[in-house]
Order: sequence, then structure tokens, then C-alpha cells
Amino acid sequence: MNFSRIQAIFIKDYKEFSRNYAVSIMVLLPLIMAFIYNKTGVNNIQAYFLPINLAFTSVTAFVQCCLIAEEKERNTLRSLMLSPATLFDILLGKSLLVFSISAVTVLLSIFLVGYNPGNWLILGIALFLSIVFYTGLGTLGALFTKTILEASVVILPIILLFSFGPFLTVLAENIPVLKVAEWLPSTQIILLAESLEVSYTLSDVLIPIMTILIWTIIIWLSTIFLYKKRMVD
Amino acid sequence: MTHVIDVQHLQKLFHQEVALRDVSFSIKKGEIFGFLGPSGSGKTTTIKILTAQLTKNKGQAYVFGKDAKEMSKSSNRARFGILTDNSGLYLRLSVEENLSLYSKLYNLPNSSVKEALEFVNLYDVRKKKVSQLSKGMIQRVTLARSIMHKPELLFLDEPTSALDPVNTQHIYNGLRKLNEMGTTIFLTTHDMSEAETLCDRIAFLHKGKIRAIGSPQQLKKQFGDDTITVELIDGSEHCIENCKDEAKKVYDWMRSGLISRIYTNEPTLGDIFLQVTGSDLI
Repeated sequence: MNFSRIQAIFIKDYKEFSRNYAVSIMVLLPLIMAFIYNKTGVNNIQAYFLPINLAFTSVTAFVQCCLIAEEKERNTLRSLMLSPATLFDILLGKSLLVFSISAVTVLLSIFLVGYNPGNWLILGIALFLSIVFYTGLGTLGALFTKTILEASVVILPIILLFSFGPFLTVLAENIPVLKVAEWLPSTQIILLAESLEVSYTLSDVLIPIMTILIWTIIIWLSTIFLYKKRMVD
Repeated sequence: MTHVIDVQHLQKLFHQEVALRDVSFSIKKGEIFGFLGPSGSGKTTTIKILTAQLTKNKGQAYVFGKDAKEMSKSSNRARFGILTDNSGLYLRLSVEENLSLYSKLYNLPNSSVKEALEFVNLYDVRKKKVSQLSKGMIQRVTLARSIMHKPELLFLDEPTSALDPVNTQHIYNGLRKLNEMGTTIFLTTHDMSEAETLCDRIAFLHKGKIRAIGSPQQLKKQFGDDTITVELIDGSEHCIENCKDEAKKVYDWMRSGLISRIYTNEPTLGDIFLQVTGSDLI
């Protein structure tokens, strides 16, 4: 791993992102939603987390997916792979920008929606892990596809599932199979946030964080595996 | 002399289709070696195997004395450069920003960007976005990127395809300069004049198999009929064997002032390709 290579890829990605309005405009989506929600006077965790989960999917996963898919489509990813940059230089360099943008967007969404978490530190850990998870998810989606168009189609059901997945748990009483939605990272972070508002136990904190961590590990192992496969035709 | 590339009995299958069959060749340090063949003959496949972008099915492929698979390692990638017709550049970034990225990936000083751009005669357009450049200029920027770290070995896959003669000449001059500085060049092309202009040795690849290999001069000698044609002022043409007996005939014509033109019947590389493969180089 080489810091100057990671930094070079990060700077390049920042320049590309700032000039790619079709993708960079996505950052506004959760912010607008958070602002509107605040104005409508919502004051429950489920509602607070709608723009936050939307930030994870439409900014973190979507932007990462589009940026990498564009690199694949234009063959610039292959050129990077043929340079001395290692797998970790490229994956870290390419994730750092989206991670930073996501962190700012999520924090702004929290501020705009008017949410004040019960415990910033614990929620911060969950938010951090979630951003890492969704960055991996976006990377994985892009590695599966060949073009930006394909990537933006593939990412849509992911956005829907992870943004609105927590609402599926409401339907679980009638359709028991939907209970699995409880284990989505987007649901787990809401459960964690709800626990933080009352007196919580260690398991109330550990279970959601461990669940998100497991999702993160699985997604990144799959991403690394697929990336290595994509290095060879 | 050290072999930079050594390939023995290389075979590559795509599903059941043979892309390369029993391909063997080696390239010496400092050589410009041309792989000539029509589209789909296996030229790009060979480059991809040698740069660890594809795995082989059978045979051996060594680059810098190491198994070609090892070219996926960061330290080995710094030793070669590659230019393909679809080598990507970042269209929203300027020429300079594109090269700056690679100068950092190769841990080169900032001056390497200027040097590389001057090498391909594009320093004046360094601030322009790549999307504003012509195809020929883009190809030259890509060449600048692939040579900026002064690679020991340069792979060029159809480097001048679809370029106009002026841009082609720019690229040729750059490649010759690079070769003089010690870079070994492995070039694939279907342009015979390009191969003849640049290459020390060439191999004809057809349907995944090498049909002939040697220097352009050797091949012409090997496949030519060693005759000359004498055209007289009365318009008649005489095919003369290049030997002592026939020389007297030419001498007599010359003394009588009857000769209009004399030329060798040396085959072109295209003729040789046709002869050894039975098909055109298109």
C-alpha cells in the first residue's frame, strides 16, 4: 500500500466527480429530503433515518457504482490495474472520495432533518461501518456491470431495497418472510438508534453493530474476489 | 544476448476455439519486434498473456526471465509500458492532469510529465481537456503515458491504427528515439509498411500460428526469387536471374544505351504474407 498513489487516485477522482454533474447532483437528494422532512415536523427515528439511509444508497452506493462503472466502460480501470498501483491502492483510493462525500452528506442530513442522537459515539461507529459497507456495495455493483447505463440500472433495486427495506418489517406480521428485512444494515442502524434513545443494554448496541460489520466484511471480501477476477480477462 | 521475452509452444483457447497454437518466439533486449497479422489472428491475445491480463492454456511465456503471470505484480508492472487502441484516458481531465496521475502512480518526479509531453510534441496542449483533443492527439497522449516511466519493455497494440500520416510519423519518430534509449518494443500491427519501417524482426501470425519469422530483409530474401527486371527503351521487360551469365546480357544492353529502368523483384511483406498464409493481411 502506497499513500502517495492512494492520494493521487483520490485527487483524480475528486476532479472527475466535481466535473461530472450527472453524478454529483445525487448528493443533493438526501439533503433536500432531510430539509423537507424537517419542515413537515417529523420527530421519530424511522423518519429521521429515511434521508440518512437514502444518503447511504443514493450517494455512497450509487456514486461509487457510477464512478467505477465509468472507469470500466472507458477502460481507465484496466489502465490503472496495469500500473504499479496495487489492488489496495486502487480500491482505497477509489473509495476515499465517496467515503468523504458520504460522511459529509450523512452529517448534513442528520443536521437538516433535526435529529439529535442519544449517543454520538456509538451511532458514529454504526454510521462509519455503514458508509464502508455501502461503498463496498457500490464497488461490487460496478464490477458486475460493463457500462454506466448498466450500473445505474443494477443499482436501482439496491437503492430501493436498502433505503426502504426497514418499512418491510412493518408488513412482516402478515408476510412472515419479510422478517429477514430486520437484518438489513439499514434496519439495524434504525434499531440501534432507537435503543440509544432509551436505556440500552450491551446487546442492544452490539447486535446491530456486529450485523453491519458482518455485512461489511462479506461485501468487501466479495468485492476483492471479483476485482481480482476482473484483472484477468 | 538476454531475451526480454521468451515464448515457447504457447497455446490459448477461448472455450473450444483456438486463439493461439504452438506459438514460439523470443525478443532480444533493445529489439523492435513486430507481430503482423490480420484482425483476430491472436496478436492482442499474445500481449494480454505477456502482461498477465490473460492466462495461457499451454506452453511457457517469460518476460524479463519471469513467468508472464508475475507481470501482475506491482514491481514488474513498473518495468513495462503498454499502449492499446482502447487505452483509456480521463476525458474530463486535462492532458497534464492525466499524466500527473500516472507520474504519481509510478513515483516519478513532476518533471516527467513535461518530458513525456515534449517527447510526443504535445506540451503546448497540456491544459486542454482530453475530450477536446483529436484521435491522433489522444493516441499520442496515451503513448506519452505509457513511456513516461521509461519502461524497459513497451507493448504497442496497433499504435497507429486510424491515425493520419502526420501523426503516424510523430509516433514513429518517438518510438525510434525510445528504442535508441534502450527500450525493447513489441509491436502488433496489420500495417506492413509500419512493420517494415520500424521493426528489426517480424513474425507473421495467422489463425493463431506463426507462419514465418525473421528480419524484413531475411524474409524477402527467403521468399523472393532473386531476380531483377530490366525494362528497355522499346518497352519490353526482361526478367533476369541475379547471376554471372545474365550479367553480360545486362552489360550489353547498357553499352548500347537500351535500358530504360532496372529494378529488383523483391517481394513486399504483403506478398510474403500471402505466400505463407494464402490470405491477405486485412
